[in-house]
Amino acid sequence: MERARALLAKPWIWSFVGAFIVWAATVAFTGGHGGGGMITAALALAVFMVIVGIGQMFVITLGPGNIDLSLPANIGLASAVAMKVMDGSDSMLAIGLMAALASGFAVGTANYLLIRALRIPPIIATLSAAFIIQSIDISYGRGLQIKPPPGFADFANLRYFGIPVLAILGIVLAIAAAIALNRTVYGRSVLAIGQNMRAAKLAGVKVHRTSFITYALCGTLGGLDGALLAAYFRGANVDIGNEYLLASIAVVVIGGTSVAGGKANVPGVWGAALFLVLLLTMLNTFGFSVGVRLVLTGLIIVGVITAAGGPRTER
Amino acid sequence: MKKKILALSALAVLLASGTAFADTSDKKIAFSNNYAGNSWRQSMLKSYEKVANKAVADGIVAAADVFTTADKEVPTQAAQVQNLILQGYDAIVINAASPDALNGAIKQACDAGIVVVSFDGIVTEPCAYRVVVDYEKMGKEEVERMAKLLPEGGNLLEIRGLAGTSIDDAIHKGIEEGVKAHPQFKIVGSVTGDWDQTTAQKAVATILPSLPEIVGVVDQGGDGYGAAQAFAAAGKPRPTIIMGNRQDELQWWKEQKDKDGYVTWSASIAPGVSTLAFWVAQLALDGHDDIPHDLIVPYLSFDQDNFEAALPDIPKGGVASHEYTQEDALTAIKDNMK
Repeated sequence: MERARALLAKPWIWSFVGAFIVWAATVAFTGGHGGGGMITAALALAVFMVIVGIGQMFVITLGPGNIDLSLPANIGLASAVAMKVMDGSDSMLAIGLMAALASGFAVGTANYLLIRALRIPPIIATLSAAFIIQSIDISYGRGLQIKPPPGFADFANLRYFGIPVLAILGIVLAIAAAIALNRTVYGRSVLAIGQNMRAAKLAGVKVHRTSFITYALCGTLGGLDGALLAAYFRGANVDIGNEYLLASIAVVVIGGTSVAGGKANVPGVWGAALFLVLLLTMLNTFGFSVGVRLVLTGLIIVGVITAAGGPRTER
Repeated sequence: MKKKILALSALAVLLASGTAFADTSDKKIAFSNNYAGNSWRQSMLKSYEKVANKAVADGIVAAADVFTTADKEVPTQAAQVQNLILQGYDAIVINAASPDALNGAIKQACDAGIVVVSFDGIVTEPCAYRVVVDYEKMGKEEVERMAKLLPEGGNLLEIRGLAGTSIDDAIHKGIEEGVKAHPQFKIVGSVTGDWDQTTAQKAVATILPSLPEIVGVVDQGGDGYGAAQAFAAAGKPRPTIIMGNRQDELQWWKEQKDKDGYVTWSASIAPGVSTLAFWVAQLALDGHDDIPHDLIVPYLSFDQDNFEAALPDIPKGGVASHEYTQEDALTAIKDNMK
């Protein structure tokens, strides 16, 4: 009982509860048909939100005003870079992946330089960076869809017992992020800066280095996501990351991370990503029109965030 | 008065020869575009630049500049149109971000004596011209083709386009009509694919597990390849998927055809319709005041016998296109006056 109550007090549990309820409602609607397939599809699609969600989580945890709005453009560029470098050949797979990571790292570094050297607020800096990156992407990729090498494409669809391999890697990444956040000097520094930047600075936390690492990490994860998306969706394109601006922020917030910074939650990112994909599954399955779908999505997200925030306000 | 005589004489020359003479040679035409990020739009811009630059070189018009906004937003494009008015362009060809939200800016342009021709993303302001593809017929023909390929019928999945656009409504209406005429088909699921391969694949992947067996997919173009991937990823049998003239869609069709004789049909609006809009603007400047404000032009389609011939000409990642000539524009105008 005590343990159950402790579990319910965790803000991230609500995103998993939400995901389960939505899944159960969908399965009830179809009369038990396709429940397993839905989970497989949800895991396969959620992992892309999780990868950028973790990056965004570190950035948001840095404290008020910190956010990375350049993720969609970053993902689009990295997807084009990866596919162009690989050029349909499996032997170039590792090099293409490295190139995508490097592209993402460069975007993250550029974001940090705009924020630090030019003292532009992150929301403006990353937004203007997004425009520049997108223009680079359009002239570099010419809006063309370049196909991934067959081995890479097959890997993106690989699954064992209905669990996509990418999802397993996403879980490993989440565990690594949780360890980095809670057990390393870097992670504790991010939390300290988010709680009170002045106090953290006076306590000897290396504020600038930590925020540089955070933006670069978020950028690199965006690059990784771009390459994987291009493999899963069989081709790079400028729009491939569009959905991941709002999604990356939504999974962070629904997952129980504080928007004000200083409080992060890794498992919640997974729960929230599954919740969002299953919500889409449910609304598609129920066959609502687009308008109803969007209204319900908004209402349900508000509901879950309120439920997650409820117990905390009582304290 | 002098202008009128000039216009009339130009018209006379035009009617006599079928081609325009230098009456518009001092006119400047601007192209206001709200998005350039996908293969269709890239192809649209390429076709436009090719035809418009040649028209400038030939002295048919003085300038034909292309302006693409940095984002897809209505206010940005409204501001852009206002700038174009101030810069003294004589005509604006526009692919609009919204059918009605830009009407204020369009009205200002018309009031300033500027010819406005919208296409693809059309505007509803009555003073502007609209070059539209007969989308409703396209949706209907999708089901008719499906009925020919699968006479016994079955369950269909519909993939819709960008919600709230006139194009999505028209194609959907056509598909509904088609299903009514062929009651052996039933639409058992509908998802939003935004004419985008990634979005379509994601949407189809989420709904597939809950659906009964699907025999066919009716869609709006740009979403066929994504749908095929989603069926493959879910391990479901491959249905008859209507294609939308994209290179990857036709390439996939060819691979399937070579493998086991897969049969389907493909249709979409040709991105080169931008060049038709250009010629309509030029002809309007040339003094043609009898051009109908709503011009319906045919869509571009391919069937089993001719798609492979078209495939090599489509750039990798691009979409099948067709560049229109001034004569094509005159023919289209004549067809619409009947």
